[in-house]
Amino acid sequence: MTQPTGVIHDIGYRHYDGVRLSRGYAATALALHSLRGAFGLGRPARSKIIPFLVAATMLLPAVVSIAVMALLKQQPLPYTGLAVTMQAVLAVFLAAQSPYLVAPDLRFRVLPLYLSRPVTVLDYVGAKFVALTVALFLLMAVPLTLIYIGELLVELETPVHHGDYLAAMGGSLIFAVLLASIGLALASFTPRRGLGVASVIAFYMFTLAASAVFFGVLLSEGLDNAAKWSILINPFFLVDAVQVNLFGTDPSNGEGYPPGFGPAAIALAVIALALSALFLRYRKAAAS
Amino acid sequence: MNSVVASITYRAMLGRKRIWLLAALPLALIAIAVLLRLIGGGDENTAVRLMEKFAIGTILPLLGLIAGTGVISPEIEDGTIIHLLSKPIPRPSIALTKFAVAASLIVAFSAVPTFLAAYLLIGTEAGVAAGFAFGALFAGIAYAAVFLLVGVLTKHAVVVGVIYALVWEGAIGGYVPGARKLSIQQWGQTLADQVSSSPFLKADVALSFAAPAIVIVTVVAVLWAGQRLRGLSLTGDE
Repeated sequence: MTQPTGVIHDIGYRHYDGVRLSRGYAATALALHSLRGAFGLGRPARSKIIPFLVAATMLLPAVVSIAVMALLKQQPLPYTGLAVTMQAVLAVFLAAQSPYLVAPDLRFRVLPLYLSRPVTVLDYVGAKFVALTVALFLLMAVPLTLIYIGELLVELETPVHHGDYLAAMGGSLIFAVLLASIGLALASFTPRRGLGVASVIAFYMFTLAASAVFFGVLLSEGLDNAAKWSILINPFFLVDAVQVNLFGTDPSNGEGYPPGFGPAAIALAVIALALSALFLRYRKAAAS
Repeated sequence: MNSVVASITYRAMLGRKRIWLLAALPLALIAIAVLLRLIGGGDENTAVRLMEKFAIGTILPLLGLIAGTGVISPEIEDGTIIHLLSKPIPRPSIALTKFAVAASLIVAFSAVPTFLAAYLLIGTEAGVAAGFAFGALFAGIAYAAVFLLVGVLTKHAVVVGVIYALVWEGAIGGYVPGARKLSIQQWGQTLADQVSSSPFLKADVALSFAAPAIVIVTVVAVLWAGQRLRGLSLTGDE
């Protein structure tokens, strides 16, 4: 019996001798990729339909606003009311795109592949969160900036609303952070995209209807103070309340909000809760 | 109708934790009704407003969306529908069975809680509870059929359904009266108005339009879904 003879051929695999980029680079790349994906860039044409439609709809108020300013010399829509006015459109974007960011990786169980690199769970979750926050912020900030440029160029008789513009930009950032954390937390609980969309939109429509019903009933019962708190069930009014109390802008609900730090504390608690739920969900998914 | 297909679909919809997605909203509706009763808002006006805004305006379309697309979309997304389609069962019969499952789920999770919530709030006063349950029943069946069809037509069924329910029925229907004519929840309110004698409830669409519209939309959607299943092409996603 002869010994088996084997030869290991050198088929020319080469080592990687280049620069090894850091953990931060990988996280940034993931965030950028997710941000592009949220707008359908780098994805097939039909994935672009909805984000492009949403972005175009968000620009409509800017176009109308500039046209009205140029022709009638007055400002139709205050800067700080943009997000509340367009809340349905923002909710559709959040519901449609946040499952895209989280669901495929969970469904195809590729998380361990990411985590076999220097990227940690925290980096992964952070990258997704930053990507969605930036995407939402851009949706609000671009029309606001367009209106602002329009106002500067048109030269209305009233002074330019520098303060309102800056307050609205700050408010947009709070809107983006709160919405992104809620959207990702809800969407990450199911690996199916359809169910993710349904649960995010169900959350929004539920809070919308609940705040309207409680507000109406409590107001008709004469409990004005409780009514003002109950409208904060809707996340858009919650952030608007924070914006009003923080920057002193005009409320967009026509009734006013509870003053003080209450709304801001609720908003921070919601963000913290959503982000920790998201982090725990991913720690569990990474272990399985 | 095929009982095996029906039982598989029921298991897919209700199995494990999925039932909570369906049960959470009706439970919230009943909880809100109890809460309103406790803070003393148990009058007819409140009940009608809660039913209009919440039961018919929010929960019904959402459940229609979850149940209507849920019975078929995940299977198409996974590609597992091919196992079902390759069996010698007529495709229109598969569509009809899926529709029956979705409709029964909506009745159980929407029409029944609607009745319970209104009953908890004001009892049988002015037929509000019965009226809205009646409206939710038929509008729910129409939603099931339409969203089943959307689920067969497109992979982005839930998003399309959300845009219909939120943007068309909610936002545009709020400003443009003409848009309310083509809104399933408005047809449901018309039906509710027929049964209820409450003066707070005013339907925008005439019964002579709403009743035939519900029947035609339901039948056409189920038939079209069955027809579409006969030539379904499975394309890769992303």
